[in-house]
Amino acid sequence: KMAAAAGGLRRAGWRLWRGRAVLRCQLSPPHRTLQASAVLRRVSDEQKEPLASSSQQQFDSHPTNHQPEQEPQGSRPSYTGQGGQESEDFESEEQLQHRILTAALEFVPEHGWTAEAIAEGAKTLGLSAAAAGMFHSDGSELILHFMSQCNTKLSELLEQEQKLVQLGEAEKKPTDQFLRDAVQARLRMLIPYIEKWPQALSILLLPHNIPSSLNLLTSMIDDIWYYAGDQSTD
Amino acid sequence: AAAGLCPYRALLARRGGALRAFCGSVRGLAAGPETHFGFQTVTEAERREKIYRVFESVAKKYDVMNDSMTLGIHRVWKDILVHKMNPSPGTLLLDVAGGTGDIAFRFINYVRCVRERQLQQKIRHHQNLSWQEIAESYQEDKSKSLGDSQVVVCDINKEMLKVGKQKAQHLGYSEGLSWVLGNAEELPFDDDKFDVYTIAFGIRNVTRIDLALQEAYRVLKPGGRFLCLEFSQVSNSLLSRLYDLYSFQVIPVLGEVIAGDWKSYQYLVESIRRFPPQEEFKAMIEDAGFFKVDYQNLNSGIVAIHSGFKL
Repeated sequence: KMAAAAGGLRRAGWRLWRGRAVLRCQLSPPHRTLQASAVLRRVSDEQKEPLASSSQQQFDSHPTNHQPEQEPQGSRPSYTGQGGQESEDFESEEQLQHRILTAALEFVPEHGWTAEAIAEGAKTLGLSAAAAGMFHSDGSELILHFMSQCNTKLSELLEQEQKLVQLGEAEKKPTDQFLRDAVQARLRMLIPYIEKWPQALSILLLPHNIPSSLNLLTSMIDDIWYYAGDQSTD
Repeated sequence: AAAGLCPYRALLARRGGALRAFCGSVRGLAAGPETHFGFQTVTEAERREKIYRVFESVAKKYDVMNDSMTLGIHRVWKDILVHKMNPSPGTLLLDVAGGTGDIAFRFINYVRCVRERQLQQKIRHHQNLSWQEIAESYQEDKSKSLGDSQVVVCDINKEMLKVGKQKAQHLGYSEGLSWVLGNAEELPFDDDKFDVYTIAFGIRNVTRIDLALQEAYRVLKPGGRFLCLEFSQVSNSLLSRLYDLYSFQVIPVLGEVIAGDWKSYQYLVESIRRFPPQEEFKAMIEDAGFFKVDYQNLNSGIVAIHSGFKL
């Protein structure tokens, strides 16, 4: 029992360290990243990181302060822990997963939205292909990651446009043209993956993926309407 | 010297009472801390030897007994393990306590299937290339049926490895398969070598589970996966009672009838009860440094697959 208590304390201390490291890394994470991580956690059935998520929620008080979605690669604390992957430990598992999925996107045209693409992505990061086992075998997490990245890019784009209008450097577009342009911009982001996109949509329609994909869709629509000027709360 | 002392100690062990307590303290100095062998209390050295002898005697009938005890369901469990692993061609697998090779053979079959599918897809892609280009691609694409995947079967027991090798020959597995004699607590392999480490129904026989987990962490590549298939605690109380009844009344009898060895199978069912439950084992795996540790119960907890990643 003592050993178990000691083990428990050790683990709690370890998680605290990790939580602090995450706090230091993320200055003000964009609203979308928080949603993306929540989606990933919901989609897969892995253990939650209570400390990491609570630290992220502290910074959620700035929804309009959008920053480009980035993996905090420059500001990772250096820590010589066990084994060769010290930096990954203190980067938090979710951030590593994001990196793997981002790396996997370049293999999608060749392998489709599959576990093979994720395995290839892991290999480019220097990890074993077995790391793809962290994700669902249907490739859904890769698609959702891509979609949330696109949504983030779209909201940045829209925000920049809004800034230009506020500074008086551009004309405010009529609503229907605004919507058309926004949707077109979003659709253009699919062009590099257009061949495999039907596969992605079919995977997103699987019953266990519908909640997450619908969530991303509705939040994107919310965003577009927000920038189109709709201030209503529904 | 240890071998010489063993029978003497075994003799002492048979006398009960005060003499045992005295000898216990003497033994403790020489043979290491106390641990369990089934429901008995023994020293670590004794335990290792007893377990070695158990598997030495059951090796030839191991597969038959597995089939009769679990009514063939162990095959499904092992299939699920390999499916969960979802290995791609080029994966290097270390199967520890893999004695008779069940996991290794399934791994080879799976990788062969994936490889065939890959080659078929390649051919489909090639349909719009010229004849010359296709011929050239054959030369670069070595077309190995396994695509460079390899499995190393490691076991501490020579008899089990012997049975495994015979099975492999009989079933026609030769490519990509290696047999190594080794102890899970101290693996004869270098660091960062393997993509996947599996241990199916073996870890409860390891005397120092924490050392085995540390060794697993050591030999895995970064990003590598640890998978453990093992009997675990049943959550459902009704099922648990039936399971206990079956374990303690039927299995040793089957052991006596089929393999002529009651005691070994008595040890087996007792060792299942002694193994830590799912959450505790998960914590042990995390302590060894693995991340994203999770478990999946099969048959309401009769068997559980624990998985962890070296990140």
